[in-house]
Amino acid sequence: MTTLSDLKISEVKLAAEEGGKWGMVIDQDICTGCQACVAACSMENNIPFVGEEDSGYGRAMHWIRIERFWEGEYPEVKMTNQQPMMCQQCGSAPCEPVCPAFATVHSQAEELNLQVYNRCVGTRYCANNCPYQVRTFNWRDYERPEPLPNQFNPDVTVRRRGVMEKCTFCIQRIHKANDKAKSEGREVMDGEFTTACAQACPSNAITFGRVDKKDTLVYNMMHHGQSHGKKHLEELGTLPNITYLNGGGA
Amino acid sequence: MTYGKKETEKKQEHHDHHGHTEEHFKEKHLMLDPLPRGVMNDMVMEAVTEKPSWKWWTTVFVLSAVVVYCLIYSWYRLIAEGVGIAGVNRPSYWGIFLVNTVFWIGISHAGTFISAILRVFKAEFRRPFTRVAELMTTFGLVQAGFSIFMHMGRVWLAYWLMPYPNQRMLWPNFHSPLSWDLLAITTYLLSSTMYLFLPLIPDLAMARDKTTGWRKNFYRILALGFRGTEGEWTHLRNAMNIFAFAIIPVMFSVHTIVSWDFAAATRPGWNSTIFGPYFVIGALHSGMGAAVVVLAAVRKFIKNMDYFIRAEHFDAIGKLMLIISMGWAYFFFNDYMVQWYGGDKWTKQLLHFHEAGPLGWMWFAMLIVNIAIPWAILWNPKWRSTPWLVSTVGILINVGMWFERYIIIPISLTINRMPFTWRMYTPGIEIPLGIGTLVLFILLYVIFSKLIPMIPVWEVQEGQMAHQLKKFGRETVVQVSELE
Amino acid sequence: MAESKSKKSPGVLAVFGDLEPTADAIEQLRKLGVSDDCMNIVSGVPVTEAMFGRPKQWSNVPRVAMGGAILGFSAAAFLAFIAPYWYPYPIQVSTQAYVPWPPTFVLFFELTMLGMLLSTFLAVFLDSFFPNYRPMQYVPEVSDGKYAIIVDCDHVPESKVKDLLKKLGAESIKPAEAKQL
Repeated sequence: MTTLSDLKISEVKLAAEEGGKWGMVIDQDICTGCQACVAACSMENNIPFVGEEDSGYGRAMHWIRIERFWEGEYPEVKMTNQQPMMCQQCGSAPCEPVCPAFATVHSQAEELNLQVYNRCVGTRYCANNCPYQVRTFNWRDYERPEPLPNQFNPDVTVRRRGVMEKCTFCIQRIHKANDKAKSEGREVMDGEFTTACAQACPSNAITFGRVDKKDTLVYNMMHHGQSHGKKHLEELGTLPNITYLNGGGA
Repeated sequence: MTYGKKETEKKQEHHDHHGHTEEHFKEKHLMLDPLPRGVMNDMVMEAVTEKPSWKWWTTVFVLSAVVVYCLIYSWYRLIAEGVGIAGVNRPSYWGIFLVNTVFWIGISHAGTFISAILRVFKAEFRRPFTRVAELMTTFGLVQAGFSIFMHMGRVWLAYWLMPYPNQRMLWPNFHSPLSWDLLAITTYLLSSTMYLFLPLIPDLAMARDKTTGWRKNFYRILALGFRGTEGEWTHLRNAMNIFAFAIIPVMFSVHTIVSWDFAAATRPGWNSTIFGPYFVIGALHSGMGAAVVVLAAVRKFIKNMDYFIRAEHFDAIGKLMLIISMGWAYFFFNDYMVQWYGGDKWTKQLLHFHEAGPLGWMWFAMLIVNIAIPWAILWNPKWRSTPWLVSTVGILINVGMWFERYIIIPISLTINRMPFTWRMYTPGIEIPLGIGTLVLFILLYVIFSKLIPMIPVWEVQEGQMAHQLKKFGRETVVQVSELE
Repeated sequence: MAESKSKKSPGVLAVFGDLEPTADAIEQLRKLGVSDDCMNIVSGVPVTEAMFGRPKQWSNVPRVAMGGAILGFSAAAFLAFIAPYWYPYPIQVSTQAYVPWPPTFVLFFELTMLGMLLSTFLAVFLDSFFPNYRPMQYVPEVSDGKYAIIVDCDHVPESKVKDLLKKLGAESIKPAEAKQL
C-alpha cells in the first residue's frame, strides 16, 4: 500500500521550512517612517538621484522605500504602520527565470537573489514579474553634480543607463565580513556587521543577520513565541527572506 | 489599357438574384473569368513598371519624411538619451513598445493564415491575394522587431540574447519566455520571408521576360535562373507544401509564446491559462482586419487590380472576420469570466480598474469595435462585399485590438499587489516611434508595389485552369478540380 | 562544356499553346524513339508530371528538409542539455530545475522547425541549381502560359523530330540554343 511518505511529500520544500542564509526582520511597530534607511541605502549603494520630475513619475530608484497607508475615508483617517519595502531576497524568486540574459540569478553561496548589472540588457521583465515591485531601472544616465561623486562607495559598482538594479542585502558588506572571517579562520558571527539600512535605523526597527542557525538574533525574532511575524505575499510561493513584525498599532 | 473590368463592377449590384447564368458566375468569380496568361501578365506588369505618377512620388516623399523623423531620429534620441524619454515607469515597466510588438506580430499572422491555412485547405479565393498577405507578414514582423528593440534598455547588447559561443560560455536563459520569443520570432520572420520568396520566383521569372533595362537585370538576379522546368516546379511545389504545413504551427507558437510573456508572469490579470489561444485569435482578428484594408488599398490604388480583387474576395474575408470576431469574443469572455469568478482581490481591483478606471472608455471601445461593429455589419453579404465598408470595419478592429493590447500591458501593469506603487502610465516618445512603424509599414507596401508583381499570376492561372462550370440538371454549378 | 555544345546541334525547342497538344506531342515523340531523358518541358504554371504522362520527377526537397529538421533538433539538444554544463559555474534561477523540461520543449519545437524550413528553402536552391545565371534553353513565351518542349536527342534524327512537332501543331520550332535569360 502506498503511504503518504512513499510519495516523498516531505521532500517538497514548504515555505515555512525554507530558511535561506541571510534574513531580516522589520518591526513595523517601532518604525517611525523617518526615511533614514532610504538615505543610508542610497549613500551606501551609489544610487542615482533621479530628480523631482522623474521621481514624481514613479522612477525614484531607491532600493528601499517606506510605504505609508491609511484606513478609512477623510477626515476619519487612521494611519497604519509604516511599511519599509525592499527586495525580499526570495528563495524562489519570480524575477529570475524570466530574464533572457541570466542577469538576475540565485546565488548559491549567499542564498540571495543577485542582479548582474553587466549582463542586463534592459528588457525589464524581472521588474514586471516582481510581486513586490522593488526593482528599479536606470531610465537615464542621471547627473551627479560635484562634489557628490566624492561620496561614491568604492565597493559598489556604479550602474549605467538601461540596466535594472535592486537591493542586494549590502552584499559588499557580506563579502567583506566573509573575507575577514575566512582570514581569521572562523565563520561570520551573528551581528558582526549589518546592512546600511539596519545600521542607520534610529529606532532599531531593522535587524539583519543569519537565519540558518537557531541561535541568531534574527532567527529568534522570527520565531519568538507565536510571534506576529509575517512575510509578504507568501501565498505566491516566493519564499521571501524578510519577516515583518506588525502588531497593528500606529 | 483597360481590360473591360469596369463592367464587372457595375454589374455587381444585382448579383444575388437567383439566375445563376454563366455570365453571372463570370462577373462574380475571378476563377471563372479567365483571361489569357499573357494578358494577366501584362496587367500585373503594367502596374509595376508604369512610370510612377507625381502622386506616388509625393506619397513616398511624405512617408519617408515621417519615417526619418518618427522612426530614425526618434530612435536615435531614444538610444542616445535613454529609455527615460519614453513614458514607461514603475509599475508600467512595459508600455507602448510592447503593445506595438504584440500588435505587429498580430498583423503578421493574417498573412500566414491566408497563404498557408487557406492553401492547405485549398480555399480557392485566396489565390489573387496570397502575395499581398505574405508581404504583410514580413513587413509586420519588421515593425515588431523594431518595436521590441526600441523597448530594450541597452539595445546595443541585443545580440547577447542570441545563442552563440562566447568566451564565458554563457548561453541565453531558455527558462525565460523572452528567449522563446526571440527564437519563435526569428523562426517566423525567416520562414515567412522564405515563404514569401518561393512562390515569387516564377513571377520574378515572368517579370524578367517582360521587362527591359535595369528592371530586367533586377528580376534576372532575383529570379535565380528559373525557367519553369518540370524539376524546378516539382522542387518548388514540394517546398511550398512543406512550408504551408509547417508554418502554421510556427505561427501558432509565435503568438502563444508572446502570450506566455504575460501569462507566465505572477501578475493579476496576466496569469491566465487561456492567454495562448486568446492571443492567437486576437492576432488573427487584427490581422484579417489589416488584410482587408491592404486589399482594398491595393485594389483602389494599383492599376488593373480590380480584375484580380473582386467583391467575392471581400465577401470571403468578411466572413472570416466575422467568425474570428466571434472566436475572439468567446475567448475574451472565457478569460474574463474565470478571472472575475476567481475573486482574487487584486484581480477584482484590476477588472474594476479596466472598466471604471480613467481609461475605462478604452475597455468599452474595445468591446464595441471588436465585437459589436463587426457583428452588426459583417453578417450582411452585400455590406461585407463593399470594399470601403469592410475595410472601415478592418481599421476599427485594428484600433480595437491595439486597445486590447494597451489594456493588457500598461493598464494592467498599473494594478499590482503593491498598492503603494500604483501609478498611471503616460506615453512619451513611444508615440512618434509607433507612428513611425506604421508609416514604414505603409511605405514598404508603396515601394514594393513598384518592385514586385503584387499578384501571383501563375497561381491565378492555375486556379482558373482548375475551375469550370458544370450542369447538374438545370442548375449550373462551379466545379473545382484538384490539380495537385 | 560550351565547346562540346557548339559542335553538335543544340536540339529542338517547340512551343505549344495548350496543355493537350503538348501531352500528345510528348507521347508521339516517345513513339518516335525519343526517350524521356531527352525531353524537358518548360511551363509557366505548375503542371504535374502525370498530366504530361511523364515519369515522376525526383526531388530531394523532403529529404533535405528532414535532414535540416534533425540538425535543428540537434542544435536544440545542444542548447538544452550540453550548453548549460559548459557554464563557468552553475547558474540557478528561482527553484526551477537546472534543465527544465517545459521550456526545453519550446526550444526543441522552434529550432526543429527553423532547421526544417531553412533547409527546405536551401533544398530548392540545391535541387534546381539556383542561382544560375548561365545561358539556358528557354523561350520567354513560357511566361505567357505557353508550353515548351526541349528535345535534345542524339539517336533520333532532328528533322524527324521537327516534322513530327510541326504536324502536331507546334506554334514555333527553333533550335534550342542556350540564351542569356
